[in-house]
Amino acid sequence: MTTDGSGPPETPEEAAASGTVAARFALKQRAGGLVVPVLTALIAFLIGGLVVAATGHNPLLAYRDIFNGAGLNWIFHPTTNIASTSAYNLSQTLLQTTTLILCGLAVAFAFRCGMFNIGGQGQYLIGLYVANWLGYDFARMSPVPHILIAIGGATIAGAAWAGIAGFLKATVGAHEVISTIMLNWIAIWMGEWLFGDGGPLQNAANKAVPISNDVAASAQLPAFWGVQQLQALDVGFFVAIAALIVFWLILNRTTLGYEVRAVGFSPEAAAYGGISVRKNLIRAMAISGAFAGLAGALDMLGYLYHFGVSDIPVSSVGFLGIAVALLGRNTAAGTALGALLFGALLFGTTHGLSSNVIQPELAGNLTYMIQGLVVLFVGADVLILYIWNTRRKLRPRAKQATT
Amino acid sequence: MTGTAARFDNPVSARLRNPATSGYTGLALGAVAAFLGIPPVQTRTVTWPVVVGVVAVVFGIWTVTRGRRRLGFGAVATGLAGIGLGILATRSGIGNLNAVFNPSLIAQTFAFSTPLVFGAIAGMFSERSGVVNIGLEGMMLMGAFWGVYGADKGGTWVVGLLVGMGAGGLLALVYAYFAIHLRADQIVGGTAVNFLALGITGYFFFQLYNGNYVSQGVSTIPNVRIPWIADLHFLGPAIGDLNLMVWLSFVLVVASYIVVFKTPIGLRIRACGEHPRAADTVGINVYAVRYGAVVLSGLLAAAGGVYLSDGFGGGTFTDNMTEGRGFIALAAMIFGNWRPAGAFAAAVLFGFSSAVALRLQVYSASASTLFNVLPYVLTLIAVAGVIGRTVPPAADGKPYSKQ
Amino acid sequence: MTQELVLEMRGIRKEFPGVVANDGVDLDVRRGEVHALLGENGAGKSTLMNILYGLYRHDAGEILLNGRPVEFASARDAIQAGIGMVHQHFMLIPVMTVAENIVLGVEPRNRLLLDERTAERRVRELSERFALAVDPAALVGEITVGQEQRVEILKALYRGADILILDEPTAVLTPQEARELFAIIRSLQADGKSIIFISHKLNEVLEIADRITVLRRGKKIETVPSSGATEASLARAMVGREVLLQVEKAPAQPGDVLLSVGDLHVRDERGIPKVRGVSFDVRAGEIVGIAGVDGNGQTELIEAITGLRKIESGSITVAGRELREASARAMLDAGVGHIPEDRQRRGLVLEFSIAENIALHDYAKPPNAKWGWLFPARLVARAAGLIREFDVRGGGPLTRAGGLSGGNQQKVVVAREISRDPRVLIAAQPTRGLDVGAIEYLHRRIIMERDQGRAVLLVSLELEEILSLSDRILVIYEGEIAGEHTGEVSEQQIGLEMLGGRERPAA
Repeated sequence: MTTDGSGPPETPEEAAASGTVAARFALKQRAGGLVVPVLTALIAFLIGGLVVAATGHNPLLAYRDIFNGAGLNWIFHPTTNIASTSAYNLSQTLLQTTTLILCGLAVAFAFRCGMFNIGGQGQYLIGLYVANWLGYDFARMSPVPHILIAIGGATIAGAAWAGIAGFLKATVGAHEVISTIMLNWIAIWMGEWLFGDGGPLQNAANKAVPISNDVAASAQLPAFWGVQQLQALDVGFFVAIAALIVFWLILNRTTLGYEVRAVGFSPEAAAYGGISVRKNLIRAMAISGAFAGLAGALDMLGYLYHFGVSDIPVSSVGFLGIAVALLGRNTAAGTALGALLFGALLFGTTHGLSSNVIQPELAGNLTYMIQGLVVLFVGADVLILYIWNTRRKLRPRAKQATT
Repeated sequence: MTGTAARFDNPVSARLRNPATSGYTGLALGAVAAFLGIPPVQTRTVTWPVVVGVVAVVFGIWTVTRGRRRLGFGAVATGLAGIGLGILATRSGIGNLNAVFNPSLIAQTFAFSTPLVFGAIAGMFSERSGVVNIGLEGMMLMGAFWGVYGADKGGTWVVGLLVGMGAGGLLALVYAYFAIHLRADQIVGGTAVNFLALGITGYFFFQLYNGNYVSQGVSTIPNVRIPWIADLHFLGPAIGDLNLMVWLSFVLVVASYIVVFKTPIGLRIRACGEHPRAADTVGINVYAVRYGAVVLSGLLAAAGGVYLSDGFGGGTFTDNMTEGRGFIALAAMIFGNWRPAGAFAAAVLFGFSSAVALRLQVYSASASTLFNVLPYVLTLIAVAGVIGRTVPPAADGKPYSKQ
Repeated sequence: MTQELVLEMRGIRKEFPGVVANDGVDLDVRRGEVHALLGENGAGKSTLMNILYGLYRHDAGEILLNGRPVEFASARDAIQAGIGMVHQHFMLIPVMTVAENIVLGVEPRNRLLLDERTAERRVRELSERFALAVDPAALVGEITVGQEQRVEILKALYRGADILILDEPTAVLTPQEARELFAIIRSLQADGKSIIFISHKLNEVLEIADRITVLRRGKKIETVPSSGATEASLARAMVGREVLLQVEKAPAQPGDVLLSVGDLHVRDERGIPKVRGVSFDVRAGEIVGIAGVDGNGQTELIEAITGLRKIESGSITVAGRELREASARAMLDAGVGHIPEDRQRRGLVLEFSIAENIALHDYAKPPNAKWGWLFPARLVARAAGLIREFDVRGGGPLTRAGGLSGGNQQKVVVAREISRDPRVLIAAQPTRGLDVGAIEYLHRRIIMERDQGRAVLLVSLELEEILSLSDRILVIYEGEIAGEHTGEVSEQQIGLEMLGGRERPAA
């Protein structure tokens, strides 16, 4: 319904360059891209706070405790001394953030190719399993090749696991949401089998417990902040930061990224442009899975070292990646911020809460609720923009005439 | 009426010539082949399972040649599986077999299948109206917790059932508002519902019951004993004394078939799922129909959840009690091709597989895992189109906007 | 026809964000009248009818039905008031039967159950009464387009419609099927029904309508009896100036054969043979037009030539080189340019900038990219030049393509295809949905490219476009070439061949 010749310039680059009223308005529309996530998070915290208040706890104190528990109060008195509680807490939050960045990218990359990868959890678990296996075997290796093999193997395994969904989508049109959900559960049960009674990866020393072997010292990632025995922040953090940059570069500066985005926006137009849609669906899904598999590897080699049957149902970082990516609008920078937010929630709710304010069990479930609310509201930016725009109704509607 | 006359000419061969009949006969024979080796028949030679299985395969192949590929290949697969399982059974020890395969396995199969039936039928209503419901798991979980809460506080399971269904319906209403009104992405919204339910139930479980609650005289959903069946030799322990909800699940399948395919409201629901604009132009309120279908979906899924905690579970709740049953229900719905009878058959198959898994745990953990993972693998194969493509309603998952 | 008014719409106004679709429109319809609503695409015809049918709410104005003011909140209200509408895109559900589609929303009931037998009986009665032959028990997905239209008309009659809105009913029909439709309209008219006939085809409107209301850019221009109107007077009212009905062009000077298709067979995604043994040549410097009713294999033929669809057998030769099992990429590299029939879904990635869209075929080639590394600045520089050359208005290289008007979007597509200097240019419905100015531009451009020595294959559903542009015309019917013409040929002759040279038996 656009009339001839009046299409407004819509990219921020151009808007900034031209500086007309229309351009500034367009820039504001784009800025909705920032408003929506921030408002979404605020609403989620608000509703979560209401539940907390309704059940007789003080939400402000609870959030303050979570904030401090996550070590975010570190910015008020920054120190690298890990003996400081806030510094330690922050290092742990960043450890969670590392995983969530990669799990978020696993969702975001597929999203940019028009697919919803709900299977991050399965791909992450597969990464964990393979990293544990490769990290335990080859124990005589020197650290660098051992770590590379373990990380590489886990990443490829994650890619292959997600690639199944991509392949099914590309060849027979199976919906990736359904197939990744199924692959999640297959991965979960695979873990029960691998580490369970008589499973191939079960602890060799103690056959009574359904737990894996410990990763050999040669495959453990070096810590850079903190003491390894107390669960330190390892160099995997930098790998995740690098992954963010790689993600951005692939999408915006390579022909592969061009193809992925073209297929994501319009498969038919992409095919017409000479791009193989099938190849890109498989490839994008595999790259997504690689991010999740890498997350599993970094967790296993960075601080977990072993994994048990009872850990499987508790783990949910792959699912959290969905909230991270959606809140971050499937961009690199957004994913980083989303990962930090949820990393803080994840660690802050398990730790350092005074029980007269809120019990950790309640706070942990509060995280799930906030996660659910975030995903719910992100999906409905119509509503968020409506809330944002009601603000404007206070002003005279003179601007209407310009359209 | 002429059809019946023709059928009486040569009742048996005429019916068998119908590809549907031969396909279902093949399916049945395949199942029989598997059961020949186990109690109560328990043949000890491989001949019988092989013979019956081969006949099933022949029926299947013939059905395929008559154009019913999906059904035919299903019969072939069942026949082959029947031969394999039959041979396996004849080689196993009689004692073990008796412990695993006895009439109560049938009762247990239905116990496991009932929440799946409720969930699958719930999903079918929602998706037939054009709203994808990934949130079944969450709605079921709401039913499970609030059902037991209602039974506890209300003093009777009837209150529990109503409260549980109400909670699921309420969550479905929230989802419907986002999916229908705000036109949020339905996969994203459904994912949010699952997180939200996990958070809400976990939070209130700890808030109200301190996170560990075992029934102390909570009113549970009763069993219904049918006297003249209960006294029979084999059928008695199999289906003579089943939970009320199990019986209701049978009723639900028949009732939902009639509603969807034989009533005006069913015609309208399907119209909204196939071509909402067509429905709109003849004056059907698409939003109202979809709201109704989604809320009904929430009520039914939650009923399955209540059964899980207050029937099957004997009045207990545990964190994340549904453990993916909502997703198996979703799988059963897809596997059953969005039809009540198909969904029921798939749910029973998946329930059987869970029941066998539980019994095998004592003997072989890995075999048990295999049966646990079977529903997901089968669904993955089904969506891959290996045994014929499943066809969702045409407008499934597409938000409808009037203008 | 009487003078009695059954419907009056007064001063109807409807605004969508950024555009006024209806601006003070008046319309009155008499009992037993065929009243044509004439206007270009986007003139506001469909909006007006959607308001009448209760699908849109008008911002101002009033509707009087049989002299009484009415207010429709939904289609249900309009239906109850006796208004029926046959949409341009049929509102039918393929997996349901004819009877189910017709009774949907007003189902006959047997207690709580759907009474299918009564439904089928009533449908049969209606179809016999108005000579609208269809099988009530057939699945809609398995009947012909002409039959689908009858189902739509039956749907409206079943609901007791007295006023029937037909939205561009002939767009999907062959000339012969259109004749049958006109006969149906006459029989409805004889029964006292009023018909609102939406069209932008002048000759049809003059033939079938009693009175004609012309809309232009959301405003009513005039209402005239058809007896006093001519094609020229209506065209002037429609577009506000005289239309160039003929395109000026020099005689073609055909050179070498650049595109040669030999005994081509292609199936659609359901495995149905859609192109069945098509052979033809296109030479440098000539425009070959392919005429045919929608769905006779044109789409599959083009997709095969452009490598977007696998061919079953036969050959495609571009500039003397036969391309076997060629991908879309191989066809592009061989020098085939393609203006696709659906520019919004296929021709452009709407979310991409103009610059990114211009690079759609060459994004991976130098200078756009090297070793898989993309150079966005070079994409922008190239786009800036083409935007000037092809006079694309409404934005710069970084503007999102989806934000452009239809005409400018098409210019982006044309700029991209022509700037690649193709030997063969395939133009599929190049002017669909465009305004008159853009159509003229595209027609001139296509002839210019012919004169540059390109081989042009034009596929269009608009017979007029084919007749005015083509140097040679091929008629396609059910996947076969049913006729070939070089000199003067009448529309009637081609219309007949579009049906395979024989009358289609009434189904």
